[in-house]
Order: sequence, then C-alpha cells, then structure tokens
Amino acid sequence: MVVVRQRSVLAGLRVREVMRRRVIRLPGQATLSQCINQLVKNKISALLVVDEEDNPLGVVSKTDLIGAFYAGLALDTGVDAILAGEPLFCFPDDSLESAIDLMHGKGIHRLYVIGADDRRILGKLAYPDIVALLYRYCRTCPNSTVHGRRSATAGADEQRLRVDEVMTAGVLSCPLQTSLAEVVEQLTAHRFGAIVLADGSGAARGVISKSDLVLAYKHGVGLDQPAAAVMQTPVLSCDRDDLLTTALQQMLLKDVQRLYVHHGQPTRLVGVLSLSDSVRFRSGSCRACISGRLIAGE
Amino acid sequence: MSMVARDVMDTRFHLLHPQDTLSKAVEMFQTASREENKRIFGLMVVDENDRLVGMLSMYDILLFIQPKHLRIWSEMEDLDLDRLFTDLLERARGIQVGDIMTTEVVTIRPDAHLLAISDIMVKKHVRRLPVTENGRIIGIVYISSLFYQMLSQFLPPQGRTPW
Repeated sequence: MVVVRQRSVLAGLRVREVMRRRVIRLPGQATLSQCINQLVKNKISALLVVDEEDNPLGVVSKTDLIGAFYAGLALDTGVDAILAGEPLFCFPDDSLESAIDLMHGKGIHRLYVIGADDRRILGKLAYPDIVALLYRYCRTCPNSTVHGRRSATAGADEQRLRVDEVMTAGVLSCPLQTSLAEVVEQLTAHRFGAIVLADGSGAARGVISKSDLVLAYKHGVGLDQPAAAVMQTPVLSCDRDDLLTTALQQMLLKDVQRLYVHHGQPTRLVGVLSLSDSVRFRSGSCRACISGRLIAGE
Repeated sequence: MSMVARDVMDTRFHLLHPQDTLSKAVEMFQTASREENKRIFGLMVVDENDRLVGMLSMYDILLFIQPKHLRIWSEMEDLDLDRLFTDLLERARGIQVGDIMTTEVVTIRPDAHLLAISDIMVKKHVRRLPVTENGRIIGIVYISSLFYQMLSQFLPPQGRTPW
C-alpha cells in the first residue's frame, strides 16, 4: 500500500549539519560577572559549566542570571551557586526533527551535542541556527521570489506564508515606570523572554528583554529602577501582512529572538513572532513546500 | 643585547575601565595611538584599585558589532548594508567595556625572557602582554618591539638599530 506522508523541509537533516561547533564553557569557580561577559561577548543565551575534565556540570542561562539578580546575589558569586540541572543532550547522528521535538517537549531553547562513545562535547543546537538554515533553504528554493526572479509556479505569492499565520497573537505589556523587579516577576510568571513597555495611551514605547536585564545586573542598576531606564527603543516590529521570509531575515540579521507584529501604526502591536514559533512551523516559509514535497513511501 | 621584558616593554600606556562605554573605548584607541606614536590594537582594563581585570582589543569590538549569522549576509545581494550597520552600532550603545573585554589575561614579569614571551604570544595568539610587578602594571610588551629586538641581528649591519 502506498501512503503519502508529508515531508517537512527539515526532514532528512541530522543534528551535525545544523549544530554550532563552538561551545562556550566556564569552570564552576568562574564568577557571575564573567559568565555575563561571556554571554554578551558571544551573543548567546546560555553557557555550559564544566569540571576540570571538561565534563558538563550544568547550564547557566539568562533566566538563571535574572534569578540571581532578583535574589540579590553579588556579581562575584561563583556560577556553581546557580547551576540549573543536568543539561539535555543529543547525538550528532540524531535527526534534526527528533531534536526539535525534544526541545519543544521540554520547553528548552538548546541541546548540547555529545559523542555517543566518549561523551565528548561536540557542539550545540539552538533555534537561531535552525531558523538560519531554514531561511537559507528557502532562498535557494526554485519557487522563491526573494531574488526578484519570476516564480516558476503560478500564484506562488499566495503560497508564501505571511507573518500573521505564524505569530502568537497578543502582547504582554507594562507601563513605562514598572520597576525591574516587577518586570522579572512578569517574565517569570508568563515564561516570556521580553515585555513591551507602553505609555498611557497604550502605544508601545520600548521593550525590555532578558538580555537587557542581565546587562542591568552587570552594570549595577537597582531592581527598584524603572524599566524605561534600560529598555530598548524603538520596538523592532514588522507588519502582520509581511512575508514570513522578510521577518525571518530581519530577526537573523539583527540577532534578535523575536520581532513584534504591528497592524497599521507601528506602535499598535498585535502579536509577536519568535524564532521558536518559526521553527515550530517546520515547513519553511511557503506552502509550496508542503504541497510540493510529498513523498510516497510504504 | 638585553633579552628580558623590561628592555622592550613600553612604559607609556593608556588604560580603560570596565564601566567605560564602547564609544569611550574607541576614542581611547585613537588617543593612545596618537600619544604613544604607534598603532594601538588593544588596551588594558583596570578596576578602581588599578588592578588589571581584562584586555579589550579592536577584534573584541568588531566581533561584537558583527551579526552572528554572517553566512546568510554573504548570500544576499538585495540588502541595504549601510542601514543595517547603523542598527548594529545602535545595539552597541548600551554596552560597556567590561561586558565584552577578555577577562582571562596572561601577564608576564619584568624579568621574563623574550623567548618565553614569544612562546606565549605564538601559542596563545596574543600580540601584547601586560608586564606586572607585585600586582601592579608597569608596562606592556608589543609583539613588534619584541620582534625587532629579537631579530635585529638579521638586519644588514647598517640597518641595525643601536640598542
């Protein structure tokens, strides 16, 4: 019997083709200050803490550092004081699909890649790198209109996904004078990576992300300070009718984890598009992939 | 010919503090190059007690400005790079020297032999090493000073600097 199975863009890919080989690690005695330095310098959200033999002891993420900020830990505290549990691993030969499933299932943003035999750390798999691959794939696809070429398929434009089909509707926002302590509480309660700051009329004026909070911690800004003091302006956003590829391009080029979505005026936000949303939408950025890449199997 | 750090180190140097902004650092690179009369690619960073806490190189700053997914960039012809670069610089505005400096710094003593210093420079890919004595910075050895001191005897006689 022949069954038709939908094949996603990422099918067939192995972890080793997508992973980043450079894994930033620190010894447990390194200070929180050094840890933040490494995260900022390398533009990463978490790093691996290892023992003398390079065995992984745990992961420290921006979320953990914000917890330390909130708890009032001194910046010269050792990172081993805030180590979260065992990191999650995958193998280089694992299929990318199964790795993504694991990340979604556990609600985590990265997997470390280790050798099956010697358990050596070989790399790291994270959403931005997966989206980057997806994006490059879409650009080279014959149906792509990115290069200004005439599309091979009639009506290809209707097939291409738009931002509002992938975004998460609704935006969490707070008043500009909200204290950093409250921002931390809000982010923790909603498990969000960033919060929009709006003025009295509800217009978005800025955004404060985990990265901004971690920097505030390092720079000695008090938890009682208003969020407006460290927020980023303007809010990076796209229109909900924009093509998904355009939005992905913006996220990748600007090294941001999310893009807010507006409708009409740029300050009226209607949703947010995150890198993990884009990965969840594995079929790429165009419907041509879903219909075009059907394969027959037994 | 003298073959220790003390003989080749520069004792005039400029310093940065971890709280300095990147824009201040760029300015300091310019000032240092002008006043020390040589191109400066890296500066020492000290805390309020003049203790060495890191080094900041031009490379650290360039690396930070650069977007992470450079491979995608190179595949795009239809991109407004100037506009994008302005945005990237904007992102660096809130960043301080302490956020991106290299914190693991190798230092040498004033009596360290030039062969030992050149070994460190080659193996660790560094071009400058702070010289410290009793925890205080007393100078900095640049790879060019070390190079000319060590290899001056390769020069034809009339080209030798009278050290």
